[in-house]
Amino acid sequence: MSHQLGRVVSEILLRYFGEIVQQVGNDLFTYGSKPIGMIVKTTGLLRSQVIESLRTLLKFDLATFEPSANEIIADYKLLPDNVLLLLRYPRYLLQMKTKYGSEAEILIEELLQQASCTATVLIIAVATKYKDDKEKNINIIRLKDTFISLATAGYIQQAPVAELNEGSEIPTLVPVATIVPDLDSRVIVQAMNSGNIAEANDNIYWRVHYDRFHQDFRDDIMIKAMTRRIDENAGELMRLLLQQMYLASSPWAHESNAIPAMDLRELCRRSAAERPLLHQHVDHYLKVLEENGSGFVVRDGDAGGGLYVVRARDAAQKLLVSVLEHTVTERLGSHAARIFRLILAKKYIEEEDIQKHAMLPNKECKELTYKLLEEHFISVHPMRKAASSGGMNKAVYLYHIKLRDVAQTAVEMCYRSLHNVIKRGAYERTRHSRLREKQRRVRSIVHGMRLRGEPQHNIDDVEETLTPPEIALLQGVEKQLKQLNSAELELDKTLFILKWEKDMDEDNKRFT
Amino acid sequence: MTEDELKEKILSLAKKNPKGITVNDITAAHPDLTSAELVNTINKLLQQGSFDIFNQGGTLLYRFKNQANKQAVKGADNEEKVVFNLISEAGNKGIWIRDIRVRSNLANTQLTKVLKNLESKKLIKAVKCVNASKKKVYMLYNLEPDRSISGGAWYQDQDFESEFVDILNRQCLKFLQQRADKIKCNPRGPIIGRTQSYAAAAEVQKYITDLGISNVKLEVEDFITILNTLVYDGKAESTVYPDGSKVYRAIEALIPAPGIVQVPCGVCPLINKCYSSGLITPQQCVYMAEWLE
Repeated sequence: MSHQLGRVVSEILLRYFGEIVQQVGNDLFTYGSKPIGMIVKTTGLLRSQVIESLRTLLKFDLATFEPSANEIIADYKLLPDNVLLLLRYPRYLLQMKTKYGSEAEILIEELLQQASCTATVLIIAVATKYKDDKEKNINIIRLKDTFISLATAGYIQQAPVAELNEGSEIPTLVPVATIVPDLDSRVIVQAMNSGNIAEANDNIYWRVHYDRFHQDFRDDIMIKAMTRRIDENAGELMRLLLQQMYLASSPWAHESNAIPAMDLRELCRRSAAERPLLHQHVDHYLKVLEENGSGFVVRDGDAGGGLYVVRARDAAQKLLVSVLEHTVTERLGSHAARIFRLILAKKYIEEEDIQKHAMLPNKECKELTYKLLEEHFISVHPMRKAASSGGMNKAVYLYHIKLRDVAQTAVEMCYRSLHNVIKRGAYERTRHSRLREKQRRVRSIVHGMRLRGEPQHNIDDVEETLTPPEIALLQGVEKQLKQLNSAELELDKTLFILKWEKDMDEDNKRFT
Repeated sequence: MTEDELKEKILSLAKKNPKGITVNDITAAHPDLTSAELVNTINKLLQQGSFDIFNQGGTLLYRFKNQANKQAVKGADNEEKVVFNLISEAGNKGIWIRDIRVRSNLANTQLTKVLKNLESKKLIKAVKCVNASKKKVYMLYNLEPDRSISGGAWYQDQDFESEFVDILNRQCLKFLQQRADKIKCNPRGPIIGRTQSYAAAAEVQKYITDLGISNVKLEVEDFITILNTLVYDGKAESTVYPDGSKVYRAIEALIPAPGIVQVPCGVCPLINKCYSSGLITPQQCVYMAEWLE
């Protein structure tokens, strides 16, 4: 909960839900949790507006509520981490498209927009929307099957149900175990044709299960890392290891339960045709995976031909360090990164030793060390000697790195950058809004004329109202906005790694 | 027995005992000597400078002194001898002028004069210390300064040659990278591939020496320092072979450049001065404008 987080959350709310929700969101962010009456008072908005905003926030799971001290009114609280997830929607969709095809993508898109929805309503809504779209060729049976496989794989889950406790006016949301539904496609088709959806409705509401997606993202990062470090076969083996891990361990465990090498050999044997090398040298690949300094995988015993453990926590930490190293390299140059790594490797080190090991000129080395210190990438620990006279006894300054703190610095930097990128995007949009509006109008007029079958030269006339310089400018703006959007996604990826490590670290503290 | 024979005997006894001998040792070895003869001979030897005399727990200890140095200080006065001895004792680490003053008990002006004399005779030299530029140490003229004083191959006249180090760093990386790809989809399996992609410091040394980019002779240890900088650059990893030799291998970072450094804000020096309003804002940011072009 930092000032920077507040700024970026506020910008996101403005972009997706408009000014009023932004005001309510800001208010909730600054005060933590408060009841409606207080929000009305501090924001100066109408009560109905505040209620409407809260409804939106609650619907998309961006806020939560709990009974306040007197148990009659509810206190509302913003969930800033969930607000940040709004930026990740395009990645969820892409993930769906690559894994389950375009039907799944459309379903998830609709569900993300609805926030929560019953299966029947969702399928009918999607089917109606794409009824006229011949290219996609959506049919209800395939939609139903996709829905069921998504539910089975855990990408969607049942929404929590509100329950009213005795003696309290405020309901609490209770999570429900997801049961894969048994949908009858005939009933859905009937309901769609008759237009009477209520009959087929089972009142079970579904929502997107973000965590399941994040698990995929994490696996992807780990597999890619191994592919970079060693080769595709090693990446494939990492994928198999993760796949086996899910069978016996909780997905976000710090360390998986032991995975027998026998199972892996068996899996590799099955895919021997595609990856002959992997099949031939499974044991060697396992050994290399274990010994490449990344610490993703460790050998845990020799029973049954070897047991292997996936260490998610170590992986998270290694990836975090990698992000930080990149950041230091880009901000202060590769020599600074050398010092950073040196300190990390030696844990505690004196200034003179840094110079000796980093092989840098004294002056440059000192300057970079102080720069690193100034930007909070490293910390210093003075060791003062107990009362001794004379100038000979200088204090010893030990440099070291508090990884958690540095990660927080990076997170803050990400928030700032994200805020700036979003803000700049909004600014570019408003700056060229007149032109963009004009382009949109011309397009819709031309589209209408084409449908009416008007002569070509009339259409050309209309199109020419956009002058060549205007078109060039519009293309430039389009390109810029695209670049800003992809920057948002990239920043979000960085945040993902940083957050993942943080969660692991916090879990660790809780258990020990 | 002549005087010279006597001298020889005592000297050979002293040579056998490098820790020094006492009068008792001499009388035990040569019981026929009268004390007058003994005193006379020892005094002569002391005058020649063949002996150092020490006081150990009340008894006098005589120790044989190397003749080579004696030659060098011929014609020098006592002060010069003392200073010269102190300097020669310090070996190739050298000795600081302050330490000479404390140990020789000479006055500052006198000491400078003595040192100047010795320097002009090319018996000693002054060497500047790399890690403290103002500190001068003295050592014998014919000695090569120790690495801690001269800084080894990386220093030229007390200046660190960062360009030289950078070039070596780059060349070493190039050498490692040539081998690094061998691990990728190696038909003989990844372990053999990995072994092939490793390089020992001696191999790197040979490669660089063959390239002929350095006119200074570089030792294996020098290359280990260079290769270690590559490890700290994150461009290589090192392992120890069972026989204790260190091997290196070029690696790539676990992840490609993350989003934070792809946007201008991640590398912006003004990121902490950037606010929603004021002089520096994201809307008016020139870095951002440049990046978007």
